[in-house]
Amino acid sequence: MEMIYLILVLFLGGAVLTWLLGKISPIIRDILFISSVIIPTVLFFMNVEVGHDVSFQVLGYKLSWGISYLAYLFSYIVLGLGSLASVYAVAAMKGKKNLGFFYSNFILSIMSMMGILLSRDLISFFIFWEIMTWSSYLMVVFRGKDVQKVGIKYFVFSAIGAYAMLMAIVIVNSLTNSLLISDLVSSFGSFSLSMKWLIPLLLLIGFAVKSAMMPLHVWAPGAYSNSPMAFTSMFSGALSKMGVYGMIIVMVSLVSYIPNGFWLKETIAWLGGITAVGGTLWAVAQDDAKKLLAYSSVAQLGYIIVGIGIGTPLAMLSALFMAVMHAIFKGNLFLVVGAIERQTGTSNLTEVSGLIRKMPWTFISALFSIIALAGIPPLGGFVGKWMLYESLIGSNHYLLVIVVFFSSTAAFLYSYKFLFGFFLGQEEKEWSHIKEAPAMMVVPMMILAVATFVLGTFPGLVLNPIDNGLQELGFASTQGRYWEMSALFNEWGNQVMLQPLVYAIIAVFLFFAAFLTIKGFKHTRYVTTKDISSSGEVPKEHENLTFSQNFFQPFLRAVEPFMKRRIDTYYSGIGNGLEAIFDFTRRIYTGNGQTYALYAVIFIVVLLMFKNALFGL
Amino acid sequence: MELILNILGAIATIVLAFTVGMSYGGIVRKITARVHNRMGPPWYQNFIDAFKLAGKTTAINHGIMQHFGPAFIMVSSIVSLMIVPVLNGGGWFENLNFGGDLIFLLYIMVFGPLGMALGAGQTGNPNSAIGITRGLSQMVGFEIPWVMALVALMVQFDTTSIVDIMRIQNESGTWMMFSSPFAFIAAVMAMLGMFRYSPFDIVGAPTELASGPVSENGGKYLLTMMSSGSIFAFVKLTLYVDLFMGGADNLIILVLKTFALYMIPVLYGIVSPRYRTEQSIRFFWGWPTFFGLLAILYAVFV
Amino acid sequence: MINDKNSQKIVDILQNWARKHSLFVLAYGTGCGAIEIPPTMTSRYDAERFGIRGAATPRQADVLLITGYLTTKTLKRVIRVYEQMQDPKYVIGFGSCTINGGMYYDSYNTIKVLDKYLPVDVYINGCMPRPESVISGIVKLQSLIAEGKANGAAKYKENLDWYRANQKKIIPNWVMPEYNW
Repeated sequence: MEMIYLILVLFLGGAVLTWLLGKISPIIRDILFISSVIIPTVLFFMNVEVGHDVSFQVLGYKLSWGISYLAYLFSYIVLGLGSLASVYAVAAMKGKKNLGFFYSNFILSIMSMMGILLSRDLISFFIFWEIMTWSSYLMVVFRGKDVQKVGIKYFVFSAIGAYAMLMAIVIVNSLTNSLLISDLVSSFGSFSLSMKWLIPLLLLIGFAVKSAMMPLHVWAPGAYSNSPMAFTSMFSGALSKMGVYGMIIVMVSLVSYIPNGFWLKETIAWLGGITAVGGTLWAVAQDDAKKLLAYSSVAQLGYIIVGIGIGTPLAMLSALFMAVMHAIFKGNLFLVVGAIERQTGTSNLTEVSGLIRKMPWTFISALFSIIALAGIPPLGGFVGKWMLYESLIGSNHYLLVIVVFFSSTAAFLYSYKFLFGFFLGQEEKEWSHIKEAPAMMVVPMMILAVATFVLGTFPGLVLNPIDNGLQELGFASTQGRYWEMSALFNEWGNQVMLQPLVYAIIAVFLFFAAFLTIKGFKHTRYVTTKDISSSGEVPKEHENLTFSQNFFQPFLRAVEPFMKRRIDTYYSGIGNGLEAIFDFTRRIYTGNGQTYALYAVIFIVVLLMFKNALFGL
Repeated sequence: MELILNILGAIATIVLAFTVGMSYGGIVRKITARVHNRMGPPWYQNFIDAFKLAGKTTAINHGIMQHFGPAFIMVSSIVSLMIVPVLNGGGWFENLNFGGDLIFLLYIMVFGPLGMALGAGQTGNPNSAIGITRGLSQMVGFEIPWVMALVALMVQFDTTSIVDIMRIQNESGTWMMFSSPFAFIAAVMAMLGMFRYSPFDIVGAPTELASGPVSENGGKYLLTMMSSGSIFAFVKLTLYVDLFMGGADNLIILVLKTFALYMIPVLYGIVSPRYRTEQSIRFFWGWPTFFGLLAILYAVFV
Repeated sequence: MINDKNSQKIVDILQNWARKHSLFVLAYGTGCGAIEIPPTMTSRYDAERFGIRGAATPRQADVLLITGYLTTKTLKRVIRVYEQMQDPKYVIGFGSCTINGGMYYDSYNTIKVLDKYLPVDVYINGCMPRPESVISGIVKLQSLIAEGKANGAAKYKENLDWYRANQKKIIPNWVMPEYNW
């Protein structure tokens, strides 16, 4: 059997079997779940080669499945994060209701993402896209009725995106009489000017919804924070990257060929920049860790969109690298929140505090991910940021640099808030019984944490596949020009030597840590966080001294003017208006037979009145 | 052999930065005292303080992050010292000058404050956390004009390498502060916040917050923070000299130039009251950002 | 190397010299004497020329300056602050009230003899002591440090039981962390 079919069938069969057989016993269900994620993953990486594709005929249309270099890169994200999150999910979701449903949805969403990456034609792309939307929608509303509103918001936006995409597909089909993506790309140059604008715009709306670009992002914070954390890790880490994947293909293969398409690219880049700033400011204002990370995801995807919008080879390189890094660190951070929520029962940063001594491994993985998120040098987040800045300056987007930099500096605020709120601060009696999360949850988190470090030291590991993907899209090879295994070069030939610097940082750090620790730690004794200098007072056990309310109040006061306008209010205005119209429409149906008779008479009268105009007699 | 020489050079750089930074700290105390019409402590007072702190017992800790916090900030100071060129042409103090560029430096410079924030966070003192939120907020404030000035530099010279910027200035013979005056003004205004003298010293307000982030740190912790702060001050001053004043050919010129620059935040601070955090953020997003924008426009169009 | 007796002596002399010239003072100003501290620190008398500097928290402080009378309520806080300070540490009793109660000699709620509760290294007499006498007291403390005689902390550690007994007599509900460094 063809390997590509086999993988998709295995995912699908695994989803069904997990649901059906899972009712027999939880152990069978768990084993089935993990194996139906892991086995296709292994098969995929062992047997599927780039360039190999299969095609078949459906209703006279040629459909084709296969994998490209770019899709192969994204399949690392999907399958890697998917297997780690699935191992995590088994431990994290233990004892919850409706698990068979959760697991099969989980597998279905991985399958649909793989399907999107494997599709070489528009119609199977669209079908898998819809399966992805459905399975993730069911995850968003997994918790029950109280999240229906969030779910509907997500669904409405996804539907808008999907219909825009469907319209584009139908137009393409009517123009080229083929559904293959390669045919669309090759014949795009012969389309009329209006079609050249319409098709990419419609496709971009579909992708921008999934990648949460301003102004289509409003579903993201609610949806990310309300689905189970084991899935949100996938949701924010991998699922949103499908939008990025589609966007890259559209921007490079279609928009580049529009006359004056330059302006569309600029607009997208600026929208990305505004997304980054808005997401960051709102993230700083959140008190719930899930919401904080959700807004932060919106902001981080903003950087990626900036990179795609700029569209120079270096910017593309940075966008793809940041997409991989974002999947790793944001996936990990959602896992961390999930672990903390499981152990303490809340994810509110103002309630939990001082977990560092109770959950040290979780802290370490969170610390690594946060450092990567903030883009601080030894870890991988910096590499993407560096390339983004270099490409922005190199392509004369000076104001955009400032916008991106502002958002990236303000990201320190919420990064610190996240770490401080959960792990540092006063150790309260309320949380003294908390234990470290089980190993099955900690190990995936630690693997992701180590990955941030490895990619920071050896960015070439990921830049290599990215480069293959970019060459496939028609860029010249960037290899040797911009990067080697451990050094980065920009367009002026300046370089950042990552490896020696990383080693230098580690060496100096170890030296000082050893100096302070060995000299100090032996002679010091641990005192509780209640033993602090608070004007000679001895705080009692029950006195809560944690500072977590209004954490960044002065900053938020300073940026208040920017945050007054929310795009949400506009949408709810539109929603209310529509509701009023529908409400009015509903009144037509009075339930009275005489009224309906009156309508029929009025209709006939109107028809007669406009007879001439309508039928041209 | 070369490796040993490199290591010796690195150590010499650290010693130099420490000495100069600490002496500057003492001289600033002396100058402040003279402005107040006092005698003031001797210029070597900070060395005495450091020596005393080294001899003080550190009897307690609040957990492992409190140990790592000072280590983080020391690492950040030393690595940024290694990247910033001390003298024109490198020489003994070359270190890693060619290993990083301005953007790398910007990010490695915030590594320390974030690490120290973690260290201060673990002590559990609410005052520390309050101080840190103020410090981070203020940092977002002054980074904007500072980055604008740097972008203007990068645009003007078409490079992000500090070494190249110094070389170009020396070849053309004009200092950046004259050839790109708006960038210099924006950068100097950002520098007022960077050094945390008045009016931007609300971070460690002694009576309000009990010295803020360092309130639980005595003895060796305080020593590490103090010395890394001195090194960091030297790094920042040297960077300004490199970028705007054409670098220095020898140590005497370097000391003169950095000292002249250092007097700007110090003297401005002595005669200033204190801003609240949001006031200082708005200050940085007002005139300094305007000058930053002017600098970028100047660099693009002139 | 450090264990060698003579070199230890040299280290001690150097350390004492540094300690003497760098005193971080935590002024515990609940009594009326606190008003004498600002003139001592500012332009007129300028204590900073002796290397004296205000410390904001007990963790950084070397000298605890107790300005004036202590009530039975504030005593507990003072003891707590003293115990939070790190070695080496010194106490200066400021004003007559800390010596024998001063004008509050017959008050029911002030501490008359501070030395019974905390090891005082130097007393500054007067009601109020003027800044000149504050400075002279600090100079006296400096000379004691240089001679190695300012060992109040060691005395406190040695006779902790006696001090504790005295303190508990004043403070009935004693809830405090252990002092063992």
